[in-house]
Amino acid sequence: MEFFDHILLGFSTALQFKNLLFCLIGAVIGTAIGVLPGIGPIPTVALLLPLTFGLDPATSLIMLAGIFYGAQYGGSTTAILVNVPGETSSVVTCIDGHEMAKQGRAGPALATAAIASFFAGTVATVVIAVLSLPLAALALKFTAVEYFSLLVLGLFAAVILAHGSVMKSLAMVLLGLLLGLIGIDVSSGIARMSFNIPELADGIDFVPVAMGLFGLGEIIANLERPSQRTVVSQSIRDLIPTRADFRAAFPAMVRGTAIGSILGVLPGGGAALPPFSAYALEKKIARDPSRFGKGAIEGVAAPEAANNAGAQTSFIPMLTLGIPSNALMALMIGALMMQGIQPGPQIMTEQPALVWGVIASMWTGNLMLLVINLPLVGVWVSMLKIPYRLLFPAIVLFCCIGTYGIANSLFNVWLMLGCGVIGYFFIKVGVEPAPLLLGLVLGPQLEENFRRAMLLSGGDFSVFLQRPISAILLGVVAVLLLALLSPAVLRKRKEALAE
Amino acid sequence: MTRRRFDLPDLLFGGFLVLVAGAALATTWHLSVGTAADMGPGYFPRVVAFALLAFGLFFLGRGAGRRFHGIETIHLRPLLAIPASVAVFAVLAASAGLALASLATIVVAGLASRETRALENLVFGVAISAGAVLLFAKLLSLPVPVWPW
Amino acid sequence: MRFRALKGLAGPVAALLLSVTATLPTAAQEFTRPVRMVVPFAPGGTSDILARLIAPKLSEAIGVAVVVENKPGAAGNVGADAVAKAQPDGHTLLLMDVGSLATAPSLFPNLSYNVEKDLAPVSMVMFGPYVLAVNASVPATTVPEFIAYAKANPGKLAVANSGVGALNHITAVIIAKQLGISWKNVPYKGGAAASRAVVSGESTVIINGSTATLPFVSSKQLVGLAVTGDERIAAAPGLPTFKEAGLPAADAGTWQGLLTTGGTPPAVVARLNTEVRKILADPDIAKKIADQGGVVRAGSPDDFKGWLATNIKTWGAAIAEAGIKGE
Repeated sequence: MEFFDHILLGFSTALQFKNLLFCLIGAVIGTAIGVLPGIGPIPTVALLLPLTFGLDPATSLIMLAGIFYGAQYGGSTTAILVNVPGETSSVVTCIDGHEMAKQGRAGPALATAAIASFFAGTVATVVIAVLSLPLAALALKFTAVEYFSLLVLGLFAAVILAHGSVMKSLAMVLLGLLLGLIGIDVSSGIARMSFNIPELADGIDFVPVAMGLFGLGEIIANLERPSQRTVVSQSIRDLIPTRADFRAAFPAMVRGTAIGSILGVLPGGGAALPPFSAYALEKKIARDPSRFGKGAIEGVAAPEAANNAGAQTSFIPMLTLGIPSNALMALMIGALMMQGIQPGPQIMTEQPALVWGVIASMWTGNLMLLVINLPLVGVWVSMLKIPYRLLFPAIVLFCCIGTYGIANSLFNVWLMLGCGVIGYFFIKVGVEPAPLLLGLVLGPQLEENFRRAMLLSGGDFSVFLQRPISAILLGVVAVLLLALLSPAVLRKRKEALAE
Repeated sequence: MTRRRFDLPDLLFGGFLVLVAGAALATTWHLSVGTAADMGPGYFPRVVAFALLAFGLFFLGRGAGRRFHGIETIHLRPLLAIPASVAVFAVLAASAGLALASLATIVVAGLASRETRALENLVFGVAISAGAVLLFAKLLSLPVPVWPW
Repeated sequence: MRFRALKGLAGPVAALLLSVTATLPTAAQEFTRPVRMVVPFAPGGTSDILARLIAPKLSEAIGVAVVVENKPGAAGNVGADAVAKAQPDGHTLLLMDVGSLATAPSLFPNLSYNVEKDLAPVSMVMFGPYVLAVNASVPATTVPEFIAYAKANPGKLAVANSGVGALNHITAVIIAKQLGISWKNVPYKGGAAASRAVVSGESTVIINGSTATLPFVSSKQLVGLAVTGDERIAAAPGLPTFKEAGLPAADAGTWQGLLTTGGTPPAVVARLNTEVRKILADPDIAKKIADQGGVVRAGSPDDFKGWLATNIKTWGAAIAEAGIKGE
């Protein structure tokens, strides 16, 4: 059995004392830094990349992976506790996770996030071990045409995501798409809507926008209604999820893991699509979709599972083909090259101990994080006991330093300020910022792939229907649209609007 | 609910969208649109901006036609103090250094809430600023000046 | 997520780790405070790796800390601009792919700095040859077959490049122009995305660095045709050079060089040049540069200046002819 040989080889690497140690160090440091508002996994890894230069290749990659998962765990914690998403995926966790925290259920939310991540991590490790080659082949089948159709599907999923009006979320997606177009156009090299501001040439940074719209906007709105802030429940029993929580969360975890495992392999959209799609699916199949956005535990479990599974399977293209599927994997490749290892399709056969060691370490790393994080839940929750009058200035400050620090750019601080005011405006007029952020992240890719598909096909729109994968994806979009417009849904929407 | 008309959130949101779409169209109008086979840089922005404009007009129309729906009262205190505190940080960080900028940010942010106690906020601000300097400037070595000199 | 978010972070930490031991001031007269080595790209790329190789050794040699600072943005122009506008005392260095420096004046007419005046070349550091390769579906295994196929099927081949105005884009434009070929130039976000697209068959031709391309040639997903540079490369001795194969743009490739602020006293530039050349003469460094798919190309500041002047002209002309525009 080749599979067992691989796994055995992997664990014999991952379980070496040195590798376990650096995996733990990475996970702990990653969590500690990822928990700072505004510093998501990618800046954390970039920040700590040089720490690994002195290690041997397997150990350094294992440590980087540890930092990465750690930062994701940390980022979810911040999202749930203070509603400041440091990365695309935490945006979704904010929606129901922070709502749970507001209701005094921060403990179960954090614990669910940790357990869902661990569960997804375990499954994804097996998926990588068994399916990495076919999945890598699938990833190569995705050309601009398929990718465009997938992005369209992802954007429609965002519409289902919001718990307000469909029209308003559609408008927000478009707004995000438009903002995403700011900067130099990949296909022509021409700067658009950048007003000759050099900082805008590469497009709007996600972090200041997310922190402004969610974090600052929410703080301003919160301060207007001091009496409505729930005091956090403090008994230990309220820290752990109940049996009912588990029963609701488990199937969501499974579905989230499945979605994340598949979408994670695909290049580019890797980080954004899995959590958004998983959330949308949960909401779609829920018996009572109106609970979403008001603290539904599935709304935490599914995206967290999807996110972690996706994060892990996004290693597949790198490990099997040597092709980075996102900015983070590009960093990992940089780390490998620094070690004198040539990434490429030969890496699995030439460096089996490295590849399978990293895969096995994903599981040990996730286990460590679970062990570290479950006891920490109490600590994090007790942070909420700090009076809000002291907490909010500190959050504002950390947002400022985070945005300034990661890009060394004061422009981003001003951008965050502007987005804070706009975020407050959105709260006042009752629209959700999440679809906007998805539009912002996916917009540039949508345009890039659309134009590339058109360029390659000579302007023939029918390519989107001729290619089977693309046709299926667009078929799903059509079904979704029909479902949205069907009378039953319209009635439900009316009820939702009437409330 | 009264029988008055105008759904304020719809009107405001619609107006906002029309403004943004208008601005986007104005700044990208000069870009070439190209053909389907070879789209210019102006193609996508124009399509998206027009769609956004349509949504904006839809909300304006719907807001004008629907029964009255107000928005929560706007409190100026947090709305001014929080952005001001961020602005203070942006202005001071490069010139006065991280330590003073952090303290000033916390003090100004404190003004946003009536519950803030001046002395407590100051003491807390000093502690948090010291922590921030240690964490970001010393441990993480961000290239930020700590002091004005 | 955007790479921009990484700006500035990794550099200081690395420098702290790598060079803290070497910061004790010695009798260095020219260097009085820490030196910034700006890399105008995200961490993990070739420029960044080179900077991290050179910085600690340079720090040892000149007796002050050398801090690597990643300042990505606008095809390297954000970081280059910061160095151009720094104090002209040799305390701010720029290590980058100087091909984009040579094309910047033609691509960006409103460039905020003057490449030849505001920057002072110190030394070229490395040259990484390009490999011309095609997807296995293209019925060509040699350059003549490739050219014949391209001419027989105008508009059919799609050449992936790592961005509009990138040197591999310009190379493809020059080849097409001089050989009378018509093909599509398909821009991607960076070399990795371009490689992926040619491996998957979305595009069909790639001109890219050897480390990014040769692994796919060995795995038979791509067919290698030729390499740029003066001589064949050790990793693929079977591939002819562009010159041997009769292809133009024979010296296109990744050129990495070290510069400082324009107006820096020649003595300081000379000192930096001496130290950097000493560092590059180290066989260990040469080996690490070979791992990056390149060869050491140390030289005098004047050689480098001449190289810049020549290429600003030749590549500029190709850019103007092809109508490639930046801003």
